[in-house]
Amino acid sequence: MNDKYSDFTLTEIMAIAASREIKDGEKVIIGTGLPLLGAFLAQKTHAPNMVAIYEAGGIDCRPLVTPLSVADAVLVPGAAMQGGLLEGLSIVHAGELDVGFLGGAQIDRFGNLNAHVIGDYKKPKVRFAGSGGSNDIGAGCKRTVVMMLHQKQRFPEKVDFVTTPGYFSGSGQREKMGFPGGGPSVVVSTMGILRFHKDTKEMYLESYHPGVTIAQIKANTGWDLIVADDVKETERPSPELIRILREEIDPTGLFLKKQ
Amino acid sequence: MKVSKVMTAKEAVAKFINDGMEVAVGSFFHTIAYDITHEIIRQKKKHLTLCAPSANEHFDQMIGAGCVDRIVSSYVWMEVFGPLYCFRRAMEKGIPHKIEMEDYTNFSMMMRFLAGSLGLPYVPVNSLKGSDMMNNSSWMGDNKVKLMKDPFGSGVDHALVPALRPDIGYIHAQRADEEGNVQMWGILGDAPYSMRACKQVIVSVEEIVTRDVIGRDPNRTIIPGYKVVAVVEAPFGSHPKNSQGYYGVDRDFIFKYIRESRTEEGWKKFMDEWVYGVADRTEYLKKYIDTFGMKKFLSLKAKDMNSSSVNYGY
Repeated sequence: MNDKYSDFTLTEIMAIAASREIKDGEKVIIGTGLPLLGAFLAQKTHAPNMVAIYEAGGIDCRPLVTPLSVADAVLVPGAAMQGGLLEGLSIVHAGELDVGFLGGAQIDRFGNLNAHVIGDYKKPKVRFAGSGGSNDIGAGCKRTVVMMLHQKQRFPEKVDFVTTPGYFSGSGQREKMGFPGGGPSVVVSTMGILRFHKDTKEMYLESYHPGVTIAQIKANTGWDLIVADDVKETERPSPELIRILREEIDPTGLFLKKQ
Repeated sequence: MKVSKVMTAKEAVAKFINDGMEVAVGSFFHTIAYDITHEIIRQKKKHLTLCAPSANEHFDQMIGAGCVDRIVSSYVWMEVFGPLYCFRRAMEKGIPHKIEMEDYTNFSMMMRFLAGSLGLPYVPVNSLKGSDMMNNSSWMGDNKVKLMKDPFGSGVDHALVPALRPDIGYIHAQRADEEGNVQMWGILGDAPYSMRACKQVIVSVEEIVTRDVIGRDPNRTIIPGYKVVAVVEAPFGSHPKNSQGYYGVDRDFIFKYIRESRTEEGWKKFMDEWVYGVADRTEYLKKYIDTFGMKKFLSLKAKDMNSSSVNYGY
């Protein structure tokens, strides 16, 4: 393999980590940006039978070029079914989908996400987009994969506003809501991979990305982050995966060159 | 032969959109009626309540122009392109004036429209429960969403959202006939339910076709003509968003708007040039070609990817 694919960026490692969260044959609702790259990569490699769903109403989409948006026109030709938001999100609401991708301005210790405001809701310091389909996907998908920029202000102990509930403030609380979905299973951040303890539902560090230290991750997290006993470096991507990502999935560098 | 509802955007907005109305702005990234939006701005409509699950620059431009008092929505942003600055200035600093917002989710907004279109007073959803959208509301107060114990005994509390039944809705589509039977394909976004929930609908289309063309493929109709009060012919009416089969998304123009609207001055300059400075969509189109060239304009044109036709015979 050519040397030019032996190096990789943190954005690429995140896209690859996202792809690893998808199992073959699963029904996945895909968001804009890195999840899109991750899902495409999964479909091209280990999960050819994945069913790709977009909230704007495309089901089993097989676009020839990478879409820019969840409502990109390139998703339409070749899809098995095309409707609108109600068709895309009703199957999420019914609990029929395996994986959903989420993001946000903040995530906290128990995986609750904020996509609304920094500061007071009524007098926001910064106002963000709002839920979109995030809250719906968080309630309905069997598990969710959260992609986050890892910075201290984005990982507070408690989010300023709960847009999409994770595990609230610990074990046993989510179940009372009667959601069909099980909650966040992983956080893929720019620094590492974090999961939730099966009993306490508290986030912990599973692996750190190459070139990042545990101390840096702890310093960029707003609470005393638990580190797994068997913490390790995030698996380095093979040059072949990097080649597919750069040459086949994002040949114009629209997503990967951003960072 | 029924009466033709064809008119200009100027006539449709003057006749049917009044100050203080609740207006559903149809669709999602695709088939958004920018021609109608710009006419609302030029006619200085005031105190509107805008409703849409996900909203882009069209909301932003109406907010910046001072047309909007209230928003009912779940997402006001331009996806990967960036934030909508007039929305942020209004929410964070009250510029040009303070606006109120009721935050929902995409699905709960769709269910509010669905309930409106069905004539139901409310519907239960799994969404919203446990989030801070439950206990933070604006002018709707306790009527934004209510929790109710499942009357069928599951033991679970349901979030009930009220039907949304806007005074009027407007949307862009590929084609309609003179009576207002609207056909759309590609990504339907919040259609058809957002429009079916409205008391009246204005539609702008790429092409006006005969009733016969509609009747040859009636499964593609999303709004029946009786709901539609005005049909506006507006080729390129969804620019800078796309219209499947006609033209693609103009990424450069979206980035241009986001970049220039970062400051109030930049936004005003953009609006003077592209909204206030043109009389209608024909002038907008001419200005676009004069500014960016025929080559750029033609590069937006969609490729031919025709479906195979179906047999409606009996």
